[in-house]
Amino acid sequence: MIRFLTIMSSRWTRLVLVLLIVISLQTTLFAEMRPFGVAAQLVLLFVVVSGSINGSTIGALTGLIAGLMYDFVLPTPVGLTSLALGLAGATAGLLVYFFREPTWWMRLITIGVVSLLGEVYYPLAQTVVGLDGWLQLRIIKVAIVVAVCNLVLSPIAIFVCRWTLAERKLSV
Amino acid sequence: MAVAQLTRRRAIILLVLTSIILITLDLQNSSAISGLRNIFSTVFRPVESTARVITRPISNGWHGIFDYNDVLDENDRLRERIAQQEGATIAAAASVRLAQELLALNGLPTLAGINAVTAQVIGDSPTNFSQTIEINQGNESGIRVGMPVLNAAGLIGKITKVFSDRSVVMLITDPDFALSVKVVNSPRQTTTTTIAKSNAAVPSPVVPVEPDASLDTETSSTTTTTTTTTIAGFTPSVTTLPAVPSGVSSITVPLASDLAVRETGVIEGRGPSRQPTVRFISNAVRFGDIQAGVPIVTAGGSRSLSPPDILIGKVARVVERLGSAGPVLEIEPVADLTNLSFLRVLLYQPITEKATP
Repeated sequence: MIRFLTIMSSRWTRLVLVLLIVISLQTTLFAEMRPFGVAAQLVLLFVVVSGSINGSTIGALTGLIAGLMYDFVLPTPVGLTSLALGLAGATAGLLVYFFREPTWWMRLITIGVVSLLGEVYYPLAQTVVGLDGWLQLRIIKVAIVVAVCNLVLSPIAIFVCRWTLAERKLSV
Repeated sequence: MAVAQLTRRRAIILLVLTSIILITLDLQNSSAISGLRNIFSTVFRPVESTARVITRPISNGWHGIFDYNDVLDENDRLRERIAQQEGATIAAAASVRLAQELLALNGLPTLAGINAVTAQVIGDSPTNFSQTIEINQGNESGIRVGMPVLNAAGLIGKITKVFSDRSVVMLITDPDFALSVKVVNSPRQTTTTTIAKSNAAVPSPVVPVEPDASLDTETSSTTTTTTTTTIAGFTPSVTTLPAVPSGVSSITVPLASDLAVRETGVIEGRGPSRQPTVRFISNAVRFGDIQAGVPIVTAGGSRSLSPPDILIGKVARVVERLGSAGPVLEIEPVADLTNLSFLRVLLYQPITEKATP
């Protein structure tokens, strides 16, 4: 029983449940609201923020788990988004590696830049597995719009991410 | 702390390997992956439905703020287009009916003989790198992977994933989309040949005539009126009114070179910002130069996922290539893929795909 409660209260269980909500928002609200014809990437934002707060390892793990869940919703091959988001999470975590206590603006710049990179990782991964045709000039516009949207939404994402990935001891 | 770090690194390696294995399995259309998708879908669907209901007012507000003027402009444009097309529709419907009757009379397959399911679009692709939409009908309605999807204008895509009560449609602009098509090229000359026949023993003289011209066949002293109806890209239909002969009959036969020439190729999507192209068109002299505006229809055939003669679009630009390689045609789809609402899924499977009883 205690073991079950420990698992249920762990941050990874919390992460899976929060990711379900994040992905559902991505497939409903953010699939319809398209500034300049581009869909904001909430899942990518969550992964980038978790990397920028908790470092490369947690960022990569969050990205791999989020990507794997997102993959089951997308029509592209399962595992592709997982690798792309895992890489994005690990890239965002380099901020903590270089700056032990980054300032808020450093964090925002990191979120913007890594969101931009993360949006490029996905078509790159598609090309690697033979689903080419997405590496076009349009990708620049897409990456910039996604980066700006993620910057705007980052304060909320930082709050949710901190709450989700906080380590709490179970007191029984 | 070090132990936790080691465990996390192991988890990362494990997840990366899992992802690579899953990609490999999915690219080979493994049924295990389909099963996993279905399981996840069962868990995820209620959460998504709840999110859809909760966020509906927000997305409605968004569309109200940013799309209102576009909708007004579109309404004006559509009203004007309806007025233009009302007359043409009646004539076209009569022609379609006639063509279907003729095809049925000759035992040829028609679209009217294929069952269809009407579906509503319920979602767009959540990513920027996939041209798909989701519809509210699935395998409970008889939908299978590969079935063609149309709207009122023409072909818009094909089914790529099917669940019990919904399906995913890949649009023709997706770079993974490919389908065999026919290019219906119009002939340049539209001369017809009138064969005046006086009796069986005398060879029939062949007289080339221009369309829209009244013909006076001197040999038989009868008057024949020829009317040519030309619709861009289609064979001009020549109607010859019966002559009033004295023992002489007249029939009008179009020259072989005047008939519309059809060549097959493959249409491929190139993403939302670029028009689909048709490749592998043979560079045959008989086919002639392809002009912009020529219609593109599905090729059909025992292996094609689509029945023949569904309109896809028209040629927007012809890109000539050197050597024996045929031209590449850029296609302007007839359907507006950015504004899809109600669709029709043709419950069509090629003979090679149908399960034997």
